[in-house]
Amino acid sequence: MFDAALFYLRPHVIITDPMNIYVCVKHVPDSAATIRIVEPNQIDENITFLLNPYDENAVEAAVQLKADSDDTDVIAVTVGKPAAIDTLKSALAMGADRGIHVVTGYWPDSIVTARALQAAIIKDGLPDLILTGKAAIDSDGYQTQFRLAAALDIPVATHVGSIARNDNSVTVTCGLEAGGEQVIRMRMPCVIGTAKTLNTPRYPTLPDIIKARKKEIREVSIDHLAIEPPDSRMEIIALKSAVQKRRKQMIAGSIEESVTELIRRLKGEARIPLS
Amino acid sequence: MEKIAILIETRQGEIKPSLYGVITAAQDAEHELLALAFGADTARFADQLKPYGIHHLVTITAPSARSFSNPDNRARAIIRAMDHFDIRTLFALTSLAGKDLLPRIAARLDAPLVMDCLAVNLVDSTVEKPQFSEKTIATIRVTGHHRIFGIRPNMIEPKTMPVETETVVFNYQGTADDRLEVVETRQGKSGAIDLSEAEIIISGGRGMKNGENFQILQECAQVMGAAVGASRVAVDNGWVPHSMQVGQTGTTVCPKLYIACGISGSIQHFAGMKTAGTIVCINTDPDAAMMQQCDYGIAGDLFKIIPALTRQLKAHR
Amino acid sequence: MNKKYDAIIIGAGVIGCPISYELAKNGYKTLTVDKLADAGMGSTAASCAIVRAHYSTVDGVAMAYEGFKYWLDWENYLGNVKDEKGLARFMNTGSILLKSQGHDWRKVKSNYDVVGVDYEEWSVERIKEAVPVYDLHEFWPVRRPEDPKFFDPPTRMLEGAIFCPEGGYMSDPALSAHNIMRAAEAHGSEFLFNVEVVAVRDDGNRVTGITLKDGTQFDAPVVVNVAGPHSYKINQMAKGVWDGCNIKTKALRHEVMHVPSPEGYNYLEDGYHTSDGDVGCYYRPEVGNMFLIGSEDPKCDPQEWVDPDEFYAGKGGQGRDNQLTEAQYKAQSYRCARRVPDMQIPNQPRGVVDLYDCSDDWIPIYDKTDLPGFYLAIGSSGNQYKNAPVAGVLMAELIDKCEKGLDHDKEPLQFKLRHIGRTIDAGFFSRKREINYNSSFSVNG
Repeated sequence: MFDAALFYLRPHVIITDPMNIYVCVKHVPDSAATIRIVEPNQIDENITFLLNPYDENAVEAAVQLKADSDDTDVIAVTVGKPAAIDTLKSALAMGADRGIHVVTGYWPDSIVTARALQAAIIKDGLPDLILTGKAAIDSDGYQTQFRLAAALDIPVATHVGSIARNDNSVTVTCGLEAGGEQVIRMRMPCVIGTAKTLNTPRYPTLPDIIKARKKEIREVSIDHLAIEPPDSRMEIIALKSAVQKRRKQMIAGSIEESVTELIRRLKGEARIPLS
Repeated sequence: MEKIAILIETRQGEIKPSLYGVITAAQDAEHELLALAFGADTARFADQLKPYGIHHLVTITAPSARSFSNPDNRARAIIRAMDHFDIRTLFALTSLAGKDLLPRIAARLDAPLVMDCLAVNLVDSTVEKPQFSEKTIATIRVTGHHRIFGIRPNMIEPKTMPVETETVVFNYQGTADDRLEVVETRQGKSGAIDLSEAEIIISGGRGMKNGENFQILQECAQVMGAAVGASRVAVDNGWVPHSMQVGQTGTTVCPKLYIACGISGSIQHFAGMKTAGTIVCINTDPDAAMMQQCDYGIAGDLFKIIPALTRQLKAHR
Repeated sequence: MNKKYDAIIIGAGVIGCPISYELAKNGYKTLTVDKLADAGMGSTAASCAIVRAHYSTVDGVAMAYEGFKYWLDWENYLGNVKDEKGLARFMNTGSILLKSQGHDWRKVKSNYDVVGVDYEEWSVERIKEAVPVYDLHEFWPVRRPEDPKFFDPPTRMLEGAIFCPEGGYMSDPALSAHNIMRAAEAHGSEFLFNVEVVAVRDDGNRVTGITLKDGTQFDAPVVVNVAGPHSYKINQMAKGVWDGCNIKTKALRHEVMHVPSPEGYNYLEDGYHTSDGDVGCYYRPEVGNMFLIGSEDPKCDPQEWVDPDEFYAGKGGQGRDNQLTEAQYKAQSYRCARRVPDMQIPNQPRGVVDLYDCSDDWIPIYDKTDLPGFYLAIGSSGNQYKNAPVAGVLMAELIDKCEKGLDHDKEPLQFKLRHIGRTIDAGFFSRKREINYNSSFSVNG
């Protein structure tokens, strides 16, 4: 339970030298992949998995921040099955300096994931900034960044479209509806959930990929992180294919005729309230 | 009686129309429904909420009206109210605002949270939600002291269930945390309908050829009360801003009617609009993927068809 | 009464359409049937549509070079027909064949000399001038990125290249088939789409027609199998045909990648089609300033033979068959990136997956069969797109001569390439041939 008094107990973290930017990345099925359900609650994982596209923006932002300051370490962190190492390699090819893989035998929910990320990060060093995509395209949960921030007891903003770094704070803009924006200043360390509009992630070249092969990836089993088992859980108990039956009717005729017919059918059988 | 709260979301001072479906998702004769709304001026919502089964309207006030512009403060106010009224289940819209506020609350409560719910079963504590770019529907069981559900806008048809609504004021006295500070809030376009909640969307893709041509969609949208969307191609070409993008890396939408103009229909685009009630496809290419997955298709020139549609709709009014 | 035609062509791809066209020009009343909705929608649509002349045999080079003359003069070839979809365009980028251990380029060069192909010999410096983004080190042998040696730094330089200025690719392969269909229709050819052939009928002596899935029958004394990846299934429907073929065909799954060009380099405008045996890839420009990367089927790559019906049933997202595999995406894009080190490699694979109708020796079969009246234009093996117009002329002539009594098996048709004036022995493409070990056994033909 949140308690405002506790909020201030943690001593303010002094910006360490070098600056540590942790980027949390997730290994997810390619959006173009066909998802086949094999067990009541499992998918066939024999498909292309890749670095979650929203996390690409987070990696890019970290690498750009690194380019702006001399002494910055960008550490990519992932929680997942052994295959998730490929996603770390992608992040390293994009310019992250090293990687941490919290190895699991299953895909944990975001409550466990956030705890694992928190444990892995504090075990590794003192974060100044933690970046991650605003969501992962597999589970579409929109929450791990918040849980991680709560676990570390640091501020968080999401849907971030710009980041400006000050001495010990960052100023970010968060997207609101209908194109609105909120400008937020957060003291570091803090967590940022990146939006697509933040930047255009770079594509690595083969020399980048070759260079990344020499970068360090530390693997740690989730069992060795001594994570306190949470009381709360979100478990997938069943999966089914989402198939929507469509009418697939072609409307032919002259322009005016076909438009008249379209309006007739929309108002009639489709019951659309066209004002 | 279990107490269930629905977080009220407003646009330009009024309850969002898509919110009534959220109340319906929580409706059950066994439960006591509370609506939580920010600001003293929300007391006037009681009459609007009555038909939908809200027993108590809780207006959350603070010494300074400004304090609720801070997202952390909003989250803390809700948590205090939940604590005060012994609310353990919270419903809200999966809107842009909801995607910030709900996880803030869930993270602090260490509560399970499912966004984009299509259906909620409170007895089993299960929800249905799309995953994997809308390719599957997952049934998720949530376990915890609290549970929080973000409902996909327009997914649940509102049902009335009239009761008497009593208004209660809850005064939040918490202080802002200076580690997160709102410097400025710039509101979006007042007339614009947000894509994720629009009931009708007319979208343009590669076939629009340039940004100026989106004007013909705007004109049609105005007549229909629709929002204008776009495919990734239109955004990548710089024709329209990213906020208009429907699809995997844009906005996921669930309107009653989706009109795709000059959009071939990539998997990533479908991922963003496949739960639409009715899909209309207007494309010169009768073999476009979108044609195969629509309700009504017109193979033809959108530059002739859309103006005709605008004209005819105007004439019908 | 069944409707009667002079010839029925099964398959409206880029080879089937020219056969209809040439037969119609010779006065045959033809019907072309296809399982899909329009011309060129099947494996033709996924073709890289590359027009190049380097083949491992003289006749291969001659036939391809003859083909150039059609693509370069597209409107005339089509009889200036109008197509409401517009005309496909020949993108004359020029074609670079890198001299490497992956190609028998000396043989190609001597074949070029024999046939009279216009070419230049380029030094490494000359290539660099033309394509500054190429790294011209030798990376041989071809490996997969799973092999740690793949990343070994190169030590030697390549020798140079053979440059063929007339090479390039067609802008839209499906459209090119559609164009030829319109040209054929102008000569009275009929096309029927969305129909599936379930039987090839005969009267005990010769072919008499086809039966469709809905029971409709069409009669014709001539039936031509141009069914692409489905060719072996059609052959199995025609009496004695399958057994009479010494060379068989089957469907091979193939992936082509689209990868962004190096930043600041306009590959689309300035690039060349390149055959790069040194890294086992060919590449050409693609819309969106992409490198379109195909595999030259190096030995280290696995081959995946599939059932075409199952494969196409997955089209549109149900089967995993139509998705690029991550391993092959990495293999092809990384290999090409050895040559083009600044190429940008997105995490998300993009490209096309489709089928080759592959023969045992990767050389097509243009032939009659043991069932009189039943002909084959099959086994294009990913390397016959460029020959399509020539194959149309060849098949029309072969059919006409055989119907008039030629015993092609005994005295193979001597086929005159009308533009370059050479005559080739059409027996080269016989179904009865022994496996041709001069073949590259790859897309190179």
